Amino acid sequence: MFDRLDSRILRFSDCYGQRFMKPGTYCYHALPATGYAVDIKRPFVINVGERKSTNVMNQHTVILRFDKQSFQPDKTELTIESGDLVIWNCPDRNAPGYIVQGDKEFFASVRLWNECGFSHAFGMPGVYEWKDAYGSGICGVINVADPPRDSKNCVDLAAWRESLSKAVLVTIDKNEAQPEKVEIVTGQTVYFAITVSKGISITDRRAFYAQT
Amino acid sequence: MSEIIAAIDETGANTLLADAIQTVGTLSKSGSGNLGPFGASYTVHGSFTSGAVDLIPPDTIRIDHLHFAWHADLSFSIDLNDFLPHFCLPQVCIDIPCVGEVCTPEICIDWPTIPIPTVSFGDFVEATADFGLDVALTSGNWKVQIVVKNVSQLQFGPGTAAILGIIAAAITPLLLAVPFIGPFLAIAVDAIIAAIGIAGLTGFLGPIISPFISGLKVPVYNQPKHFELLPAAGANDPAVFIELDTVQARIEGSDEDELVLDIDISA
Repeated sequence: MFDRLDSRILRFSDCYGQRFMKPGTYCYHALPATGYAVDIKRPFVINVGERKSTNVMNQHTVILRFDKQSFQPDKTELTIESGDLVIWNCPDRNAPGYIVQGDKEFFASVRLWNECGFSHAFGMPGVYEWKDAYGSGICGVINVADPPRDSKNCVDLAAWRESLSKAVLVTIDKNEAQPEKVEIVTGQTVYFAITVSKGISITDRRAFYAQT
Repeated sequence: MSEIIAAIDETGANTLLADAIQTVGTLSKSGSGNLGPFGASYTVHGSFTSGAVDLIPPDTIRIDHLHFAWHADLSFSIDLNDFLPHFCLPQVCIDIPCVGEVCTPEICIDWPTIPIPTVSFGDFVEATADFGLDVALTSGNWKVQIVVKNVSQLQFGPGTAAILGIIAAAITPLLLAVPFIGPFLAIAVDAIIAAIGIAGLTGFLGPIISPFISGLKVPVYNQPKHFELLPAAGANDPAVFIELDTVQARIEGSDEDELVLDIDISA
């Protein structure tokens, strides 16, 4: 068993983020993975207006709840300004793997296009060799180590908890990930920020082989 | 006076009962019980080996150090929320050049319930048991068996304490498969084993194993009432039968205590 790293199937320790650069109405659904082919309804809405704020972007967070076999966002309709970022997370460990599926090609967690992001908090130690399951060739490595133990085999939990608030950024621009190798401890988060891509995934090779 | 009297002394009784206990064979039982705070399903197998026999007039056979070797397969599940602290991944913020700061939400972990499929272990218990003599004519057969009257408290073998270590070794790899548990692993295992404890283990095993001992019946004598004394030796020489009219069993105290069978016969 391993901690599944796969942006195509979001889980409780994952977040999907998308910036909306142009004004308009964007509809979406949150569905069990691969459900976009079954359920074509897009009942939830992001209204994007002209940018009035002076900063580059504001962030909005949508928390999904899994109840009665469906995902429900805490805000079914959200109004933002162009350039803003919306982040989705479903913190329910028992929820099935899911996707956020919008009505535009760029707006879909299953395939990360432009001005979007994916984060994963790594729950288990190991070497995570990730690649793009869609074949672009982009790849990288995340080395996850358990925090050090003292002579009594105990972890300094206070120090470990403090380390959890420090995330690591991997930027992806076209076909390049920087940095390619990352070292973290169990529980830490890596945020993959995708500036421009042809629609990629961040997929652990083990998950890739398990599916193909 | 009886026509047939059979008697054995304590040395003979030790040999007889050692052999007789072997014939009891392997006993087994399945069910569920409380292993400390956990509901556990079990299958227990075990067999007896005799201890030291003491014949006590007028009707008691005491077996000291009656030894029951047992093996148990357990399965149970552990709700980790009962043992691990509530834990949340904190909000993390990261600065993306030319864009700004992005923050993930705090994510609180509900620990899962872990099924422990099968933990296998074994040891022995010993007890001192007082048996009475039971004589019955059943389906045309005289049966004499010794039946438990009283059992002392079970004494678990020295390996019982080590079973907690076996349980710890069995659950550790299963816990390791739980995301985010790594830093808490030692805490979780220690807490689970402490929750079971020796008292929980013996409290679980005692009620399972006790009925094996308290229900023990050891066959001593089993012969047909219509007893073939001589087999047939030809067409004109048929088998010779006698009737065992009564069978009585007792412990007789004299210079040496003896287990005695008194049998009245008729042609």
